[in-house]
Formats: sequence, structure tokens, C-alpha cells
Amino acid sequence: MIGQLFRLSGRGLADFKIHPWAHLLTLVAVAMVTLLAGFILLSLHNINIHLLKSRGEVQFQIYWRSDASPELIQTQWEKIGTMEYLQEIKGFTPQDALVELAETLGKTGDFSWLKEQNPLPYSALTSFAVPPEAQQEGWAADLLTKLKAMDGVAEVHYTPLQADLAKGWRVISRAIIWPIIGFLGMVVALVVGNTIRLSLLTRQDEIEILSLVGARPWYVRWPLLTGGMVQGLLGSAAGVGLLKLAQNALADSLNIAPLFIEIRFLPMEQVLALCGAVTLVSAISSWVAVR
Amino acid sequence: MVEVQHLSYNFGSQWALKDINFSLGKGEFLFLTGHSGAGKTTLLRLLYGALPLTKGRATVAGFELHRLKRRHVPGLRRRVGVVFQDFKILPRRSVFENVAMALEVRGMARSPLERRVRAIIRAMGLETKSYTLCERLSGGEQQRVAIARSMVTNPELILADEPTGNLDFDLTMHLMDIFKQFHTYGTSIIMATHSREVLEAVPDARILHLEQGRVVELDGETIMESEEEFA
Repeated sequence: MIGQLFRLSGRGLADFKIHPWAHLLTLVAVAMVTLLAGFILLSLHNINIHLLKSRGEVQFQIYWRSDASPELIQTQWEKIGTMEYLQEIKGFTPQDALVELAETLGKTGDFSWLKEQNPLPYSALTSFAVPPEAQQEGWAADLLTKLKAMDGVAEVHYTPLQADLAKGWRVISRAIIWPIIGFLGMVVALVVGNTIRLSLLTRQDEIEILSLVGARPWYVRWPLLTGGMVQGLLGSAAGVGLLKLAQNALADSLNIAPLFIEIRFLPMEQVLALCGAVTLVSAISSWVAVR
Repeated sequence: MVEVQHLSYNFGSQWALKDINFSLGKGEFLFLTGHSGAGKTTLLRLLYGALPLTKGRATVAGFELHRLKRRHVPGLRRRVGVVFQDFKILPRRSVFENVAMALEVRGMARSPLERRVRAIIRAMGLETKSYTLCERLSGGEQQRVAIARSMVTNPELILADEPTGNLDFDLTMHLMDIFKQFHTYGTSIIMATHSREVLEAVPDARILHLEQGRVVELDGETIMESEEEFA
């Protein structure tokens, strides 16, 4: 039985020699569909990376209580300075804050008369840049809690824009991205499936003759399954290869001001999923083509 | 070997066969005669399970066709050899591969398979062309390959649909000798033909004459008037 399966698999592969053009054209079609699907995945992947990168950028404005000692505040600035993913910290004494405020207001902002009774507290403006791989669920809220819990801190404000953007991207992901991927899967299934089925027309005589001499359905289908799998594997590998070439050529095409977007290649698991899906569809199409 | 009772078959509203009755014992030779469109090919296709039997009863090599499930069709075809006028061989495969195909589907081990294939190829006079692609053979040689493939399994019954239809007289006689040889070994044969030479080649064969899907004559006995209007 095993020997027979090997023989039939060998026959499926030998058919490449018998019908080279039909197989070659099918391979090209499979590669093109893989390339097209790969391009869409590549776009989604790079949009995702770009948004993840920017959504990780968050600013916190920290205000200390007026009774907090300058020594304590200095220690805490240093402590914040050692925090993970901190990009920048800018500390403001009440006097610094007053100057900053005056500069912001320009000519109308003369607060020299407030010098002796400055109402502004100690504060600090901190910027964090959390990389995509470290953005666990609720990472911004955790950071906020940590800062609020510091001794002497009265309140912490943060720019909610980036977090909202992240939330918005998640909603878009759920509402649009998955249906797109589902649609893409369907297109791959239809195009690859029908191409393989059409290529089997060249073997209709063989299928008929095998059936006439008493071959059971699995015997007829096995070489087709093997051939379909190999076509799916080679075609998807060729498609991914072409995608890599295209990515190499386009990698820096958007890496210009003000975009600075570097087009990155798909991660290995997505490449494997793409090849696996195309191979699976090819194999299934070959199996169901003869009924 | 074959038992057919009240068999009818229609393509849409058109009757292709109507109330066919006959039987064939082991080792008998039966010719199906009649003009084109008389129903010879349809009858043969029903007998090897290419068409489903919807009306009447038929038993072939122990298989009840009126109860035949799709999964049982390969079993029927392993007991019956089929030869066609258009050969139905694979032109891009060698003579050996085409003949061996009938045994490979049965899962026969390589060594006995090769012995049997070589023996039948030799019997057909094709031993020098074992590894020649069939597309390079003449029509007569291709038909011998088709006959070899149908006979290599030692079937109990051979169904042949005008197997000499495209061949010249000498070749026709040569192939009929081959069929007769297998017949003498006890193989039952049903052969569709409208050739007088073929009929004369097997004088002791039975004849079933079809006209417009009905049996008008069986073994020399008139069953119904010829050219009768079809109901």
C-alpha cells in the first residue's frame, strides 16, 4: 500500500514532464495569485507596523504637590529618567514653568510680578516610545498608574490621542482587515482552484481510462493530489520570491520626509501561512476536481 | 455471465433502449448488430456501469446493475474488460505502461505484473515495441494495445464496442483471431459491430440485432418486425 502510494506520487510528479506547458502555466498563475495576496498582506503588515510604532509614543505631564520638597522631586526626576522606553524628560521648577509660560504667551506674557508668589508647582514633561512588541494590553494605563503612584505626585495628564488612535486601529482591524483577509483567501481559493481544475482537463483521458480499468477514486486522485500540492508549493514559493524582490526594490521608496516609512518584508510566520494556504487550496482543488 | 431483463434506457424524452431481454453464458460470444444509433453502445455502456440502470434488471459477472452503487463500479470493471473503437489509450505513455495500468490499479506486485504484461504484449506481437510511446504506433497496433490492456487481467467478460471499426480487412481479421483465441480459453465476449466480415469471422457466435433501441432478432429468431415504429 505504502509502495503503491509512493508510485502514484511519483506518477503525479512525472506528469510535469508529460504535460509541461499546462503545468508551467498553472505554476505561473499560482505564483501570480500568491504575489498579489502577498502584496496586500505586505501593505497591511507595514500599515500595522507604522501605526504600532506611532501609537507607542505617549507623553505624560506630571505635576507635584506644592508641599513636595525639591530634593524629593529631583530624586524622582532621576528615577523617571531610568524608566524603560523613556525617550525624553524635561523637568520644570516653578520658575522654569513660569518662564516657559511667559515665552508661550509672547509679549503679553510678562509674569515677573509673580516671581515672589509663583503659584505653579514642580512638573515634568515625559515622552515614552514603547516598541510594538512591548505594547501589551493596557500598557499606557499601567504607565499612568505607575507615575501617579510616585510619592508627592499630585496629578498626571497624558495626551490621549495616541491611545485613541490605537483603539481606532483595533476597531478597523476587526471590522475591515479580517474581512479583507477572508476575501483574499476566497480569491486565492477560486483562482488557484479553478486554474488547477482547468489544468486537469489535459488529463481527462487518463482519468477516464483509469476509471474504465477499475481504478478506485483514491487511486485516480492521489497523483493529482501530489501534483497539485507540488504546484501549490512551487507556485507559492515563486510568488513569495517575487514579493521579496519587489520589497527589496521598494524598501526605501517611502523612506523620505515627511513619511519616513521603511517597507519591511512579511514576518516568517505570515510567509509560511501564505505558502501553506496556497498549497492547501491547490491540493484540495486537485482532490475535488475529479468526482 | 450476463442476464438482462426488461432493460430500458432513455436520454430525456428519447428512448435509447426499450425492453431488452437476453442472457449470455460463460464462454459465449455474442455480437450486437444494428445501424448507428440502434443502441449498441448505450447497451454496452450500461453493462460496464458507465450509465446508471434506471429501468429493468441486469446482472453482469455477479454484479446486479439495477442495485449497483457508485462505489461498486470499480469492482465490476475489474471483472470486465472493455475495448473501444477509438482505443482509449494514453498516447504519451509506452505500450508497457498502457497495458500495465490495468494491473497496477489492482495493486499487483511488480514482478508478476511485469511477467504478465510482457506475456500479453508478446501474444499481441508487440514485444519489439514495449517501450515505444503509443502515439508512434499505427492504428492497428494501438488497438492491439487496447485489447492487451483489456485482456491482461484475464477478465470473465470482454465488452468490445466496434473494436475493428477503423481498421482495414487484414488487420480486422488479425484482431478477430486474437478475440477468438481468448474466447476459446473461456472468456465471454459481447462485441458490437455492423461489419459483415467480423460476423463471418466467428460463425458459431450468437447475434442480437438491435433497431431503434429494440431487439428485433436474437439467435436467428425474430423478436419483432423490423422497421416497426417505435412507441
